[in-house]
Amino acid sequence: MKNISLLKLFFIFAKVGAILLGGGYVILPILINEFVEKRNLVNHDELVDYFALSQSLPGIIAANISMFVGYKLRGKTGAFVAMLGVVFVPIITIITLASLLGLIMTNPYVQGALWGVGIAVIALIMLTVREMWNKSTRNTFFYVVFILALSGLLLFNLTPVQTILIYTVFGVLYKIMTTPKEAR
Amino acid sequence: MIVLQLAYEFFRIGLFSFGGGYATLPFLYQISQQYSWYNLEELAQMTAVASITPGPVGINVATYAGLKTAGVLGALISTLSEMLPSFILVIIVAKLLKKFSDNFYVKAVIETLKPISCALLTSVAIGLLRPEIKDLKSMSLLLILLLLSWKTKKDPLFYMLISMVVGVGIVIFL
Repeated sequence: MKNISLLKLFFIFAKVGAILLGGGYVILPILINEFVEKRNLVNHDELVDYFALSQSLPGIIAANISMFVGYKLRGKTGAFVAMLGVVFVPIITIITLASLLGLIMTNPYVQGALWGVGIAVIALIMLTVREMWNKSTRNTFFYVVFILALSGLLLFNLTPVQTILIYTVFGVLYKIMTTPKEAR
Repeated sequence: MIVLQLAYEFFRIGLFSFGGGYATLPFLYQISQQYSWYNLEELAQMTAVASITPGPVGINVATYAGLKTAGVLGALISTLSEMLPSFILVIIVAKLLKKFSDNFYVKAVIETLKPISCALLTSVAIGLLRPEIKDLKSMSLLLILLLLSWKTKKDPLFYMLISMVVGVGIVIFL
């Protein structure tokens, strides 16, 4: 793991914010690409943890996960710089283009491009799931929690926050019961 | 002071909205009823623009609402106020994680979060499939993108650009 300057951190997050199209969830594949694959600054595993933690905290998930990465690399200042970086391009875009965008949104070419982005987002999320799946140590515990959490989300319409709370408690209890007292 | 009211309202949104961008909409609706900053029609317009500009929807709509209410200063104030609560919370959580990384319970939580993360993202993908993949065009593009991932290095921007070009191409040629 290498170190990184605050300026560089800002620019990477500015880039992340600029290509963050089609909703906040795509931030996970983008961060994996920028921080794991290209620069090896963060572990894939850590990013996955940050993703769940970001969902269980209030606020905007994409901003939260950026702050976790910033904190990991450069502490409090890093978290602050990451936060400013990820919203930099979005803020400028809204301030300069908002009124114009309102007018061209019904343009068929813009609609076509947006349709494409929608599909790309699904592909990216599916690929990220595959990658997460491949890189996890999938023991019985993993499968049990995964299946229970997924059925909670899909069958019982639990919100992400409810899912995280309920199954984290379940997971910790499971670990307590399966780990001998002296090993805790 | 409208700027202080903006800061207060968006701080509140940042503190109480769970679950991403669209979770902030009920709060923005409530604001439109309480103040005369923007009306419902404008809120719908703002949300639509926020979902096509780069960046998280929840941030974009906050920036736009601030801009409409109090200009550029308003845009900056509302965006930063919305992120302030989670900034504080992230730092606290990250600090605790670092301090207690060897603790049995912390390790158990972290280990549980992995399959939960996987399940969350899987449910997002499944949730998006139905509204987005509704004809042959969208199904073919999705399959092509997934097949491409076997051959190329996966840079997210690459998929975005290809899909945008295909989308515009379909409008031009079909």
